[in-house]
Amino acid sequence: MNKVSSVRIIFAGLLLFFIPFSMADESDEDHQPLMPAEQQILPSAIQYLQLMQNAYQMKNYEVIYLSSLQKQLEPMQLIHGVVDGQQVSYFRYLNGAIRESLQFAGEISYFEQGAPAYTLKSNHNRHVFANIANFDYQKGLENYDYVILGKGRIAGKQSIAIRVISKDDYRYSYVIWCDLHSLLPLRLDIVSPSNVLLEQLMVVSLKVSEKVNPWLVKLTENPRPEVVHIRQLATEKTSRWKTSWLPAGFTVVKNDQHKLAMNENEMVSYIMLDDGIVNVSIYISPKKLALDEKQKLIRHGSTVLYTEQRGINEVNVVGDVPIATAKRLVKSLVWVTNDN
Amino acid sequence: MKETNEQLSSLIDNENIDSKSLDALINDKQQQAVFSRYQLMGDVMRNENAINIDISEQVMAEIAKQPTLETVTPIIANEPTPIKADNNVIAFVKRFGQYAIAASVAGVVVMTSFMTSQPVVENSGIEVLNTVPFGGGASPVSLQASQKLSKQALQDRHERLEALLKDHQLQLQVQQ
Repeated sequence: MNKVSSVRIIFAGLLLFFIPFSMADESDEDHQPLMPAEQQILPSAIQYLQLMQNAYQMKNYEVIYLSSLQKQLEPMQLIHGVVDGQQVSYFRYLNGAIRESLQFAGEISYFEQGAPAYTLKSNHNRHVFANIANFDYQKGLENYDYVILGKGRIAGKQSIAIRVISKDDYRYSYVIWCDLHSLLPLRLDIVSPSNVLLEQLMVVSLKVSEKVNPWLVKLTENPRPEVVHIRQLATEKTSRWKTSWLPAGFTVVKNDQHKLAMNENEMVSYIMLDDGIVNVSIYISPKKLALDEKQKLIRHGSTVLYTEQRGINEVNVVGDVPIATAKRLVKSLVWVTNDN
Repeated sequence: MKETNEQLSSLIDNENIDSKSLDALINDKQQQAVFSRYQLMGDVMRNENAINIDISEQVMAEIAKQPTLETVTPIIANEPTPIKADNNVIAFVKRFGQYAIAASVAGVVVMTSFMTSQPVVENSGIEVLNTVPFGGGASPVSLQASQKLSKQALQDRHERLEALLKDHQLQLQVQQ
């Protein structure tokens, strides 16, 4: 009897001795990523956004995400890695015909089922989240406010929601969710000035790795398809029109006359605006087709195509901006009398 | 083996089981397979919910047996075609796929068939966090029949809009 109880006491003692260790061990492993953040001063909204940018550009990761647009879902995949100091991203659609692209070293190659592959020169990353991950948030403070909305769970990860609110009604607002651990963007909501959700991108699976995906490295070593130059870009002439008003934060990045990629007989005056997140194209051309109304509007998610006929001309505005912006831009167009 | 099977069947029938045999079961892959088969048989006999066979493993194995990822081959197989390097300025759209310019406007055709008038007045108010379910975005698009336009005129119109949209996409892509 005595023997048994003494054994028990020893056993209990041992247990007591080990428990603190096992608990300490647990807190070390599980809570380490969160603990320092909670003890220190938490990053501000803009700091989170900048950390997100850094993570998006520098980390090796693989995401599978859904794009939701006008009640249609499209699953896609992005693999990103840094090979010899430069970013490589591979993208593909997961459903339907095979469409994939590979971007690195100032070129983007497209591979499409049933069509020859080709490469374009482009420094502009248009893969998922690239627009928000390459935006200058410090400069953006002039036109946006950044507010932390709260925390939630996306793709099984603790994440933080930050709202990027436009200060005026001439651009959309965004809600960006970032993984608290890796700080990668996990969800993006594009919200109209009247608070309607227009488009949504949501990660469903995220894999972050220390080392770059070896398959990605292999891709960069293979010869790429032939580079295609686009003839119409050679036009030197500037357009005969200019805008007398621009939404705050936008600048004119292109101003030329070119033939449309699809319709080579048609010459258009062209102006492109950029605010760091979205681009707007303005096309001015002689009126060819009669419209039953003076103006037409098409909206697809956040993209707007606004057509207005003015006298003998027709103006089309294409871009991810609210309708009010498109309308006001058309109104502001003036004919440049001199070529200067 | 026979004995453990008996244990298994008593486990399924909720008969007395000791924790030892449970542990043994948990650690034995073969036993687990037998267990799930028994469970299935039981389900069928009791005529419970329709047979739900998990074939994912077999499917994955089949997929693995398929020739290596089709999606990869084009990249590797595509040796640059030998052409005069100085003169590869070509009509872009005619020769190549339009993926680059259609990538983010996959819905161009669908879209152009939806002529919208002024959007419906959107409900204002402050959006509350977590009240917007995924995929539940509202996008007020109203179909406006253009009766005055003939079919041909409408088609021309759509083609032009598509041309504009694609040009926009291409311009974005080749922006330096």
